Amino acid sequence: MAVYILRRITWAIVASLIVLSLTFLLLYFTPDTQLTELQFQAAQAGNDPERVGEAYERYHGLDQPIHVQYLEFMTNMVSLNWGWSETRSQPVTTALVEAIPYSMMYAVPSILLSTILGIGIGLYSATHQYTRGDYAATAFAFFGLSIPDFWFAIVLLVVFGGMLGWVPILFDTSVATVSYANVTQLLLPVTVLTLTSVASLMRYSRAEALEYVEAAFVKTAKAKGVSDRRILYRHIFRPASVPLATILVGDLVGIIFVASYLIEVVFGIPGLGTLSYRAIVNQDTALVVGTVLVPTFLTIIGNLVQDIAYTVLDPRIDYGDR
Amino acid sequence: MSSDSDSRRNTFEDVDWDEIDDTARPISHRALAIASAYAIFVGGVAYDVLLAPEGDTIASLGLSLQALDWLYILTLLTLVVFGLVPLSEHRRMTAHYWNQFKKNTAAVVSLGYLLVVFAIGSIGPRVLEKPRVDARNAYQPPVFTSVESWLPVDCVGPVVNDRCHGTWAHPLGTTHEGKDILVSVIYGMEVSMQVGLIAAFITVTIATVVGISAAYFGGWVDTVLMRYVDLQITFPTFFLYLVVVYLYGGSLFSMIVIFGLLGWGSIARIVRSEALQRREETYVLAAKNAGASSSWTIRRHLLPNVSNSVITAATLLIPSLILFEASLAFLGLGDPTVPSWGGLIASGRNDLQYAWWISTIPGVFLFGTILAFNFIGDALRDAFDPRSGGGTT
Amino acid sequence: MTQDDPLLTVENLHTSFHTDDGTVNAVDGVDFTVRRGETVCLVGESGSGKTVACESITQLFKRPPGEITAGSIVFDGIELTNCSERELTDIRGARISHVFQNPQNALNPVYTIGWQLLEAIELHQDVSRAAARAEAVELLDRVGISEASDRLEAYPHELSGGMKQRVMIAMALACQPDLLIADEPTTALDVTIQAQILRLLKDLQAEYGIGILFVTHDLGVVAEIADRVVVLYAGKVMERGTVYDVFETPCHPYTRALLDCLPGRGSLGGIPGSLPDPMAPPAGCRFHDRCPDAVPDCSTGDQPAFESVVGEDHEVSCLHYRTAAEPTVLESGVEPRRPSERTDGGDTHD
Repeated sequence: MAVYILRRITWAIVASLIVLSLTFLLLYFTPDTQLTELQFQAAQAGNDPERVGEAYERYHGLDQPIHVQYLEFMTNMVSLNWGWSETRSQPVTTALVEAIPYSMMYAVPSILLSTILGIGIGLYSATHQYTRGDYAATAFAFFGLSIPDFWFAIVLLVVFGGMLGWVPILFDTSVATVSYANVTQLLLPVTVLTLTSVASLMRYSRAEALEYVEAAFVKTAKAKGVSDRRILYRHIFRPASVPLATILVGDLVGIIFVASYLIEVVFGIPGLGTLSYRAIVNQDTALVVGTVLVPTFLTIIGNLVQDIAYTVLDPRIDYGDR
Repeated sequence: MSSDSDSRRNTFEDVDWDEIDDTARPISHRALAIASAYAIFVGGVAYDVLLAPEGDTIASLGLSLQALDWLYILTLLTLVVFGLVPLSEHRRMTAHYWNQFKKNTAAVVSLGYLLVVFAIGSIGPRVLEKPRVDARNAYQPPVFTSVESWLPVDCVGPVVNDRCHGTWAHPLGTTHEGKDILVSVIYGMEVSMQVGLIAAFITVTIATVVGISAAYFGGWVDTVLMRYVDLQITFPTFFLYLVVVYLYGGSLFSMIVIFGLLGWGSIARIVRSEALQRREETYVLAAKNAGASSSWTIRRHLLPNVSNSVITAATLLIPSLILFEASLAFLGLGDPTVPSWGGLIASGRNDLQYAWWISTIPGVFLFGTILAFNFIGDALRDAFDPRSGGGTT
Repeated sequence: MTQDDPLLTVENLHTSFHTDDGTVNAVDGVDFTVRRGETVCLVGESGSGKTVACESITQLFKRPPGEITAGSIVFDGIELTNCSERELTDIRGARISHVFQNPQNALNPVYTIGWQLLEAIELHQDVSRAAARAEAVELLDRVGISEASDRLEAYPHELSGGMKQRVMIAMALACQPDLLIADEPTTALDVTIQAQILRLLKDLQAEYGIGILFVTHDLGVVAEIADRVVVLYAGKVMERGTVYDVFETPCHPYTRALLDCLPGRGSLGGIPGSLPDPMAPPAGCRFHDRCPDAVPDCSTGDQPAFESVVGEDHEVSCLHYRTAAEPTVLESGVEPRRPSERTDGGDTHD
């Protein structure tokens, strides 16, 4: 088992290096917009664009052969020297570190909520299949699964922020993290994100639990005289938790990254999503790369955690070749 | 006895020896028809690329086909050849699946809705003029509703009690730029259908080829392919698209191709695991023992048996593709030349308090389309599930 | 209470399942009894309602869609159909336990054998962990699992099918039940393992004096293990009696057809036709459309009332055995062929 986990960790590292290398190649073969801009300005000012270009390339080390550039890029990346954000005039890593807490402020409560609600409602649905409660839960899941989060966010903002005035329309970064004002302004983002992520989790946990509700071993447990409640927790939820762990860190992470990107832009939360969005709009390459790499690495770590969770939870897993 | 075997074939996807005998003839009519359909398509593309004057494909008809349109045609052609034709050929099987599917009312309604959207989205943009910016026409409310008369620059409908009423001239109202929302929504239908169908088509094609190859050949082929899938799944498509659109700028065509080329990982995994299960089943082993070639075994035995899970997975993939496109258009990172629902929602975002319809109406269509695909995917999963349908005994 | 008092009396049991397509009356008026220390076999084709009948006893099937619509099940003086879920939970495993058909899936894959055995013991007995463990080891030992204390740490996937079934039996015996319901416990196993498991059940029955309700479609197994036999067809009892009577003088055409299917009995083709549609069972005798001896009257009215025939408690539900006091069968003018030779000695025990 230790060997297996070690192999997964190695794979995660290899995957990260591959992602970084691909990023390097993408950047290397893309015309540098800043350089073009500089050369254009130089030409307008009557300077020689060639010389400006050379100076720029020398300054950024772009005149070096590709393997030197590659090594330097990788060294910088691994040592967390992710470059300088021109538009924000600060190191990319600083910008990221400043943004991440804002993302976590609504994402963490939302992940907790959707995990608890999703699994809870899913299990209820599975054990009360074809009852009114199950139908209601299913309808709710389809609603959450299908509603475009950014659109729902705008509608909620207009109704509860604009018309009813219950929540602020503009996100205020000056309020204390633990304060009533912060809770009210995070209410809608958490609601939208939870609704989007809870739906798929509900469907999955319902489907998984249903597999086990009908399983022979559940009947065995019932024949043994195990109470319904204990059957649910011990005999259905425990085996279902193995595949659910996969979804939790696999799908949920993906859904949350994409959803949070849009949610932050709509609600004006200065988190990772907004940072990335601004960087794209303002053509800040280093920052774009940084803000895209963070969710990618988090996904890799999520997959790693999921694999390890699998080995711990499921005694049947084969630690051999995989 | 014969009715017995018929009903068996009706319910399970057994090996159909009669059909195999039929198709064992050198070239069947069906294969010929399919081949010629694709030949016409290739001919069309070749003509467009090599011979046709710049911009116009068939000048006399005023028809101008872009790369995206050709891809869309290929997608629809494939959908007909591998979807509708087999369905009409295997009537009993179709009837069986339809009976299962029909139990889900929501899915039947959804199917109707999508067919209507598809039809309007296909015909509308050919007939209707692209919505134009017309500042004087801005902020017209939808028919049967009204707004404060100060909002529209120039109210088209009647003004009663200081309220501007909507008219049939703009049944769903207009945007802040004076674009007709109904027309924009209709154009958006085509965009959404193109995104969903083409990207799903590319995805399914690659996923099936990769999944089946990995399962059938095993060994290092399997290892290499699945390692690649591991890696691809790690990288979130959405962010990859962000990077690519940032570096190269995004057209609808490139967006669709990127979605298609990079989103097939999870379906390939499904195909592989399904095919692995089938590979070990008796009828495949029997075919192999009887000397069937690889391509025969794959085509006749593995492909038909993984098709159910692929169709279901693809149906559930389409809504997320449509949502991706809308999200990117909403952020302003989509194709600016294309009237997408996401872009329309974004354009009404700041006026939502005064002109609720601009963002709301395309949002409703987006929501409805995604919901419909989700319902259908769910119903397909139930219909294909061999455990469903039977009574409890 | 003497040995002869029934431990379990099932009377007029009706169990239905409500599905999308309609209501299936899987068990449609079934009566049988099980006494202490005896083995009663429920016999019939797949789909005849055997499993549902025995799962009805402690209501193991899913509710809904399943439901006991009528009848009574008296176990040791307790009316089980009136019991609350709580009361049933106390009875399941403690006084009535089950062994199921497919041992492959009957054990929870994510827990060790020991965990599952201990759960069975601790649910119904107030014992210390150590005592429960000791008991678990003893049980495994008793059902013939070697190195029992090591096996407690094993997961189900590490055991063979036969081993798993032994674990299932050990679990069923954990609280010394009065009644063991074994639902085709050997069907999924190899023949040699089958024989071992049957022997084990016999031995355990002799040792603890439990009543066994054994469900099977395999008449070979019935001959080996049963004291009495209940033949089910499409949710109805066709014939019941001691194993000796039913095998030696099978009265119902269905029983005879089943016996003919045994190896070496001639008929290789099985019984022609298939079970009737469970949603719309035929009028009259359920078996009439497959019955070689059917007369027109067989397809009208209800399933014929039970008639006592030769042997102890030997009863059959077939028109051909209707006593002379009721003239309908004579009106039909058809003299029963083979059955007529056997009706003469019909003495009544009850």
